[in-house]
Amino acid sequence: MATETPPPDKATEPREDHATGEASGKHGAAGELYGYLAEYDTPGELVEAARRVKDAGYTEFDCYSPFPVHGIDPAMGIKRTILPLIIFGGGFAGAIGGLALQWYCNAYQWGWNISGKPTWSIPANIPIAYECGILLAVLTSFFGMWALNKLPQVWHPLFRSDRFLRVTDDGFFLGIEAKDRRFDADKTKALLEDAGAIGLDPVHYDPDPAKKAMPKWIMAFIVASTAFALIPFAVAAKARNSHSSEPHIHIFPDMDFQPKFKSDTENPLFADGRSNRGEISGTVARGWLQEDSTFYLGLTAETGGDWITGFPATYPDSPGLTPDLRGKPFTVDAKLLKRGQNRFNIYCTPCHGYDGRGQGMVPTRVKESGGVWLARNLVDRAGTVVTIPNGQLFNTITNGFPPTMMGYAAQIPAQDRWAIVAYVRALERSQIASNEDQAGQR
Amino acid sequence: MSLTKSLHPDEKFKAGKLGSTMMKAGLGIAVVMMVVSLILGSMHGDGMKRFLHAYVVGWTFICTLSIGMLWLVLLHHLTRSRWSTVVRRIAEAMTLAFPIVFIAGLGFALPVLAGNKSLYYWAADDAKNALLNPTLQHKLNWLSPGFWFLRFCVYGLIMSGISFYFAKKSREQDTSGDPKISDTLRRASGPAMILFAFTTCLLSMDVIMSLAPKWYSTIFGVQFWGSGNVGAFAALGLIVLWLQRNGRLTHSITEEHYHDIGKWMFAFTFFWAYTAFSQFMLQWYGNMPEETVWYKYRMFGDWQWVSIAILVGYWAFPFIFLMSRWTKRIVPSLVFFSVWQLVFHWLDLYWNIMPQYDWATETHGGAVINAGPLSGPIGLHHVGFTPVDITVWIALVGVFLVGVGRSLSGNLIPVKDPTLGLSLAHEQL
Repeated sequence: MATETPPPDKATEPREDHATGEASGKHGAAGELYGYLAEYDTPGELVEAARRVKDAGYTEFDCYSPFPVHGIDPAMGIKRTILPLIIFGGGFAGAIGGLALQWYCNAYQWGWNISGKPTWSIPANIPIAYECGILLAVLTSFFGMWALNKLPQVWHPLFRSDRFLRVTDDGFFLGIEAKDRRFDADKTKALLEDAGAIGLDPVHYDPDPAKKAMPKWIMAFIVASTAFALIPFAVAAKARNSHSSEPHIHIFPDMDFQPKFKSDTENPLFADGRSNRGEISGTVARGWLQEDSTFYLGLTAETGGDWITGFPATYPDSPGLTPDLRGKPFTVDAKLLKRGQNRFNIYCTPCHGYDGRGQGMVPTRVKESGGVWLARNLVDRAGTVVTIPNGQLFNTITNGFPPTMMGYAAQIPAQDRWAIVAYVRALERSQIASNEDQAGQR
Repeated sequence: MSLTKSLHPDEKFKAGKLGSTMMKAGLGIAVVMMVVSLILGSMHGDGMKRFLHAYVVGWTFICTLSIGMLWLVLLHHLTRSRWSTVVRRIAEAMTLAFPIVFIAGLGFALPVLAGNKSLYYWAADDAKNALLNPTLQHKLNWLSPGFWFLRFCVYGLIMSGISFYFAKKSREQDTSGDPKISDTLRRASGPAMILFAFTTCLLSMDVIMSLAPKWYSTIFGVQFWGSGNVGAFAALGLIVLWLQRNGRLTHSITEEHYHDIGKWMFAFTFFWAYTAFSQFMLQWYGNMPEETVWYKYRMFGDWQWVSIAILVGYWAFPFIFLMSRWTKRIVPSLVFFSVWQLVFHWLDLYWNIMPQYDWATETHGGAVINAGPLSGPIGLHHVGFTPVDITVWIALVGVFLVGVGRSLSGNLIPVKDPTLGLSLAHEQL
């Protein structure tokens, strides 16, 4: 850098154009003098020059470099920034705000009782509070940095100097403003040169007063965008505090009004006026034929039959079953009981409990919060479940036991419901075994 | 301003007799306190069970100090750090304590090998009861005393080997001044870091986690390492200060370097809290019995007060204060926080280890069966603090000082390291 011959437009001789007011670089006519801009060869020389300028008593000066320079702050006599404190405040406010938001939403305004769990629980809220703290700290540091440096200043007179363009590449600059009370054209120049400047330029304001401050269109843009951003809030505030007979505003009408019929709505196209179309009479979808009344209904015959007491003899040869089961004999074996236990533990234990005594988590939690939720004891020796036939138990799993138990036909396929029946019978044996059973006579 | 500096002409960078002073002091502390601990431990009336648990706390404490500094040495080479060149020799001395640390570790590892069943439940007979401990059976091949002891020795060899290699090459450079040694170490530091990470993780699982063998956590090793680095940087700051009080390195190590030590301590204070909370949060939220059991005995009963003390003392208070610049640059303040964090690092290990001391029994079919740690009613699990918890810790810190003092010899600064000049001129922005 030092050995490089400067191009002609970066002559090391200071230009003497500030007195005559002639053109300064490519930026047109020169106005009032802003100050002197000196260029230094290395960061070390810049720090040394800054120290000398500070020691000479100047206060209105600044250093410009492509990267942060170690030791420049004490050399310039700059106090430490208060930005860290502001960021801390931002982060703290973010964390507290995040906590408060969750408390307001989850515990205060829209509390939901989910099987008796507390509506506000600190551990679950820490991640959100942490992220909110980080978010606000980062935003504060980003915008605080701009604000404390009074940036952006694209209209700054230093940008009128061609030499200054290298500040983002390899130029190290020190600028002293003419408004400093110690500023004196000759003495200041001598000081900067004496400190080792490899180049020195006077810098002038633009003669056009409009170009000395923030351009009007930037200000207008800020005001307009702020006002625009307030519109949704204003609309929401108005809607919350007024009554209207007008229909809702639809921002996405093609999502709100889709060209389709939803279930249970009116449809003039059909004779019965319903958009729900049932199965067409006389047809069955593939795999949906349930003509085996023993397997699908638990009855000996479809009409006028009794509940079966045992289990179906075979699986129906239906494409609704997996190929390994189609038409195969139905055997109650350890595999079936395992499957039944697995399904029972998933679907039945929340109410009936793992032991089938009707003390699952739902009745327990409801009881703790003062309510009553009865679930049948499946293994009570004199109770209904023990005494009813298998077919009826299967039917209960299929269709439910109103009002508290809903049918499980949609969630559990028929072969799994039979597995649950088998497992419930095994559970009863294990819980209310007779003396004969215990003697190993079963 | 200059980017580089040369060693101050009046600098005293030879260790002289300081190392042997530290070694003798450490040896005295270790012998006296270990005798006291053995007496107190045998008086506790539980067949040295309390003594062994306290020994694991104290041993993991000194082991983490060396682990943290080995990490610093590896990171220094891996990232071509500059600030840490002036303290690297002291960090190397702390890693060279590994052989002595692991020999001290035999104090609890040998009893396990010899058939002691009061420290690790997986070594107890009832652990093999498949009805009582169904989730433990598949772990018992890994957690068998012989294999466990073998692994313990392998960890010691790996850690000692890495630290010896890096310290030996570093000292070679003192005489030859060959800058290629720095390149060699940089190339070695990557694989060494990977080996180091696996060893640290497995070590924490085998020594601490297996005290609660039925518990699961995948972040435990990271959490252990993070907490250990808090203590390691605190110890580094205190040892550097002690050397300076004895007239060594007074010109080379400045507040700029203390600031960086403090920054690492601060960073790991938060890192530890982050990982420890991650472990808690996922297990609390998941609510799986095999995971929450570990926190059940720490969130309720006696131990909840220790948990709260750690949350406030190990994280909240140092986090707020170490965030500021001045607390790390003013030496008395940094000393205060270093001592504070060392004490809480010990308490954190105590909290990780000691709740496993109380083992409950269950009655199955008329037979009384040992159900191991983290079982039975919460009221059974007391903090049960006794003096032996502290005396073993101090004795093992004495052992650590023997290990460090033995290695504090010759140059206390890598005099011919190519980055020494940059490190001496190091300044915070």
